[in-house]
Amino acid sequence: MTDRSIPAGELAPEGIYPPTEEMLREPVPEEVQRGQKERLARVWKTPEGWRYWTAVNNSEVGVWYTMTAFVFMLIAGVMALLMRLQLWVPENDLISADLFNQLFTMHGSAMMFLFAVPMFEAISILLLPGLLGARDMPFPRLSAYGYWSFLIGGVFVIGSILFSAAPKAGWFMYPPLATLELGIGSDIWLLGLSFIEVASIAAAVELIVGALKCRPPGMRVNVMPLYAWYVLVVGGMILFAFPPLIAGDFLFELERSFDWPFFDHTRGGDPMLWQHLFWIFGHPEVYIIFLPSIAIAAMIVPTVARRPILGYSWIVLSAVGTGFLSFGLWVHHMFTTGLPNISLGFFSAASEAVVIPTGIQLFAFVATLIAGRVVMTLPMLWIAGALAIFTAGGLTGVMVAIAPFDWQVHDTYFIVAHLHYTLFGGMVFPVIAGVYYFFPFFRKKMLSDRLGRWAFWLIFTGFNITFLPMHLTGLLGMPRRVYTYPEGLGIDWLNQISTAGSFIVAAGFAVFAWDIVRPKKNQPQIERNPWGAGTLEWSHEVPEAKWGVRSIPHITSRYPLWDQPEIVERMDAGRYYLPDAEEGLRETIVTSVIDARPIQVQRVTGPAYITIWAAAFTGGAFILPTFHIYGPAIVSAAFAVVCILYWLWTSTARPPEKDMKDVGLGLSLPTYAAGPQAVGWWAVWITMLGDATAFASLVFGVFFYWTSNTAFPPPGAEHASGYLVALATAAFAAAWALTRGARGLNRAGRVGLARGALALAPLMTLAGMGGFILSVLDLDPTSHVYPAMMWALMVWIVAHGLVGTIMQGYCLAGSLFGKLTPRYDADLWNVTLFWHFLGLTALVTGAMIGLVPRLM
Amino acid sequence: MDRSDHDRQPHPREDEHEFAEERESLWRITLGPTIWAFHFAISYAAVSVYCFRFERMFEMGWLRAGLIAMTLAMLVAIAWIGWRAFLRWDVRGTGEFSNPEGSAEDRHQFLGHAGFLLALVSFIGVVYDTLPLILLGSCR
Repeated sequence: MTDRSIPAGELAPEGIYPPTEEMLREPVPEEVQRGQKERLARVWKTPEGWRYWTAVNNSEVGVWYTMTAFVFMLIAGVMALLMRLQLWVPENDLISADLFNQLFTMHGSAMMFLFAVPMFEAISILLLPGLLGARDMPFPRLSAYGYWSFLIGGVFVIGSILFSAAPKAGWFMYPPLATLELGIGSDIWLLGLSFIEVASIAAAVELIVGALKCRPPGMRVNVMPLYAWYVLVVGGMILFAFPPLIAGDFLFELERSFDWPFFDHTRGGDPMLWQHLFWIFGHPEVYIIFLPSIAIAAMIVPTVARRPILGYSWIVLSAVGTGFLSFGLWVHHMFTTGLPNISLGFFSAASEAVVIPTGIQLFAFVATLIAGRVVMTLPMLWIAGALAIFTAGGLTGVMVAIAPFDWQVHDTYFIVAHLHYTLFGGMVFPVIAGVYYFFPFFRKKMLSDRLGRWAFWLIFTGFNITFLPMHLTGLLGMPRRVYTYPEGLGIDWLNQISTAGSFIVAAGFAVFAWDIVRPKKNQPQIERNPWGAGTLEWSHEVPEAKWGVRSIPHITSRYPLWDQPEIVERMDAGRYYLPDAEEGLRETIVTSVIDARPIQVQRVTGPAYITIWAAAFTGGAFILPTFHIYGPAIVSAAFAVVCILYWLWTSTARPPEKDMKDVGLGLSLPTYAAGPQAVGWWAVWITMLGDATAFASLVFGVFFYWTSNTAFPPPGAEHASGYLVALATAAFAAAWALTRGARGLNRAGRVGLARGALALAPLMTLAGMGGFILSVLDLDPTSHVYPAMMWALMVWIVAHGLVGTIMQGYCLAGSLFGKLTPRYDADLWNVTLFWHFLGLTALVTGAMIGLVPRLM
Repeated sequence: MDRSDHDRQPHPREDEHEFAEERESLWRITLGPTIWAFHFAISYAAVSVYCFRFERMFEMGWLRAGLIAMTLAMLVAIAWIGWRAFLRWDVRGTGEFSNPEGSAEDRHQFLGHAGFLLALVSFIGVVYDTLPLILLGSCR
C-alpha cells in the first residue's frame, strides 16, 4: 500500500527497470492475451454513426486534419490556375484586376496558413504516436480542438473569395495598403488567420510534449527517430515565430477597428514595424515548413538504402542549427526598404550561413544512399525529385541572399520562381513521398505504383516547365502580382510556357488525388511492413487495431525492428508494458526527457462533443469582430471559456482511483503527477513561453518606435499616471504571491488558509487590472502612436489578468469540491506557473507604461 | 528503481554516475547557437540604434571596436563550449564516431558530439556575422 502522507505527485516508480531478457522470454498465456485484447479494444473503440465526429484519437483526427489541409491546397491550386490563365496572353481581360488581387493573396495565404503549416501538424499527429510506440498523443482533446478550430477558421478565410470579400493586399498584408483597404478582406485575413495560429500553437505544445515525454521506455535521445528530433525543433520554432505575428495581428486589428495609428506615419506610427514582426515570423516559417518535410526524407532514406542513417548526430546538428539560424534571416525580405547597408550585411551573412546546416543534411542523405543498397521505390523517387528541385531553389536562394542582386530582382518573377522551387522541393515533394510511404501505415492499404509514377513525372516535368522560365521572366523585368502585361516585352512566350506547364502540374495532382480517394475495398490485405523499415511505426497491426500498440516496448536501438529480434511478437503478445486496460481508461506511459525512464501512467482523454463546442465558440469570438459585431463576440468568447473549463474540470488531473498501477514486467508506476513531473505542467510552460514571446514583441514595438521616430514619446506628451501604475503593479505582485503561497499552504495541509489566499488573489488581480485601465484612461489612443502603444500594453495585461482570475477561481472551486487536495494538487502547480509568467509580465508592463517613457 | 546513481561516494559503478541522466540537459547542446543568437541580436540592435539616433554624435569606429571585442569574447566562449563537448564525445578515447546504441554512455557521447558540431556551426555563424562590421565602415 502506498504511503498516504506523500503527495501523489511525488511518488516514485517501484520495481524492476530495465526488464531482463528472461522476463521478456516468458510467454503470456493465450487466455490472458484474449482478455487483454478485449478490454483494450473496448476502451479504444472509435465512436460509431454520427458520434464518429466526437473521436479524438490521433488516428482519426490526424486523417481529418491531413485531408482538410489537402483540400485547401487543391482549392489554392485552382486559384493559381486561374491566375495562369489570365497571364496566358498580354492584355488579357479574363479576370478583373480586383479578383486577381484576391486570387494571389488567397493563394499565398492559403498555401502557407491552411496547407503547409497545418500539414506538418496533421502528419505529426498522425505519425508521432506510432513512431514512439505510444497509444496516443498526451492531449488528444487538444488535437481535436485544434483541428476543429482549423476547419472553421480555414473555411471562413478561404470561403470569403466566393463573396468577392477576400483580402487583396498580398499574403504579407503590408500597411498602409492593407490598413487603408476598404471592405473586410484585411479583417478576414487578420482575425481568421490569428484563430488558426492559436490552433498551430496548440499543436506545437502537443507535439513538443509528445516527443519529450511520451517516448517508449529506453528510447534515449540518441536513439529516437530523427523525425522526433525535427518535431522538437519545429515545435520550438513555432513557439518563437508565431507569437510575433500574433502581436502584429493584434496591433493591426486595433488599427483597423479602432483607428489606433500603429502603422500610420502621420500620427507617429511606422509601417516598418509590421514588416519586421511579419518577417520575424515569415522567415522561420519557411523552415517550419521545410524541416518536418525533410524529416520524412530522413525516415525514407534509411529504409530504401537498407542501412542505418549515416551521420545521425550531423542531422541533429543541422536540424537544431537551422532552427536557430533561421531566426537571423528575416530582413532579407526587406533588402529594398532603405535600412542601413551595414544592417543588411548581418542578414546577408546569416542567410549564407544557414546554407551550411541545410547542406549538411542533404549530404548525409546522399551519403546514406551511396553507402547502402538502394531500392528505387516510389517514395524514393519523390525524394529524389525533391532533392533535385530543392537544390535548384537553394542555389537561387544563395543568389538573392546577396543584397545587390536582390535589389535587381526584388518583387519580380525571379522571386516567384525561387520560392516555388524551395517550397516544392522542400515541402510538396517530400510530403507526397511521405504519403506514399506512410499510406499503408495509416490506411492499411497500398497506393498504386503505376499511378504514383504517372503523378510524379507529370508534376516533376510540369513544375519545371512552369517555374524554370519564370527566372528569365523575372530577369526580363516582369513584376509579380500584376494582373496583366503589355505586348512586346519579350515575356509573352515565357508566360505561355508557364501557363501550359501549370496545367501539367494540375493533371499530376489530379492523378495523385484520385489514387488517394479511389475505392480500395478489393485490395488484398497488405503486408505489415511493406517497405522492410526498421522503425517502430511498422509494428502496427493489420487489419487496424485502434489501441495503437498492443503493448509499449522497451527500446534499445535506433532501428528496433532490424536490431531487436522478436520485438514485434512480444509486443503483439502483450509481453511489454501496459498490455491491458483493467480500469477501462485510455492510458499511455510517460517517460523522462533524456533517457526515457518510465515515470508515470498518463490517463488520456476520450471522445467528446465539448471540443467541437469549444472550437465553435472560439471561432465566434474571432469571426464576429470581422463584421464589427462585438457584443455577441464577447458572449461567444465567454461560452468558449465555459466549454474549456467544463472540459478541464471533468477530464483532467482528477484524483485517480489508486495511486500506483502495475504496468507489467514487475514495474509499478504512479497514476498521478504534479509540477514538473506532469505533462500538463510542461504544456503550460511551453504555452507561456510562446505567450511571453508575443509580449516581448509588443515591448520590442515600444523600443522600435523610439529608434525609428525621433519624437517618441512626442515632446510634452501626457504620460500614464505613475501613481496608479505603481499601485496596479503592486496589486499584481500581491496576487502572484497569494497564488504561490496557496500552493505551499495547500501542500502543507493548511487547506483553510490556502482557500483564503485563493479567494483574496482574484480580488487583487481585479484591483491591478482596474489600476492599469485607470492609469491610461486620460490618454487618447487615436491621437498618436505613443498613447496607442500604452493602451495596447494595458489591453494585453488586462486580458491576461482576466485569465489569471479565472484560474485562481478554478483552483478555489477545485479545493472546495474535492478535485484539488493537499495530495492531488496538479492544477495549483500549473496555475502557479502561469502566474510566474503573469507576474513578470505585469512587472514589465508597469515599467513600460509608468517608467520607461519618462526616461526616453 | 536503481537509486545508486545518486550516491556521491566513489563505487564500482562510477561510470554510471558520470553518465547519469540527472547530469545531462538538452539545453546544453543549444549553448553555442544561443551565443550566436545573442551576438546577432546585439550587433543588429546596437548598429540600428546607432544609425537611427546617434550617427551624428560620435564616430562608428568606437561601436565597431566594441562589437568586435564582444565577438572575440563570444568566439572564445563558443570554442570553450565546443572543447568541453568534444571531450564528452570522447572520440579519441573510444574511437567511436557515432553512438547508435541504447546505453547511457552512448547517449552521453552523442550529446557531446551534437554539442560539438553545433558549437562549430555557431562559431562559423558568428564569424560570418562579424564580416559586415569589418568590411563596412559606416551606416550607408
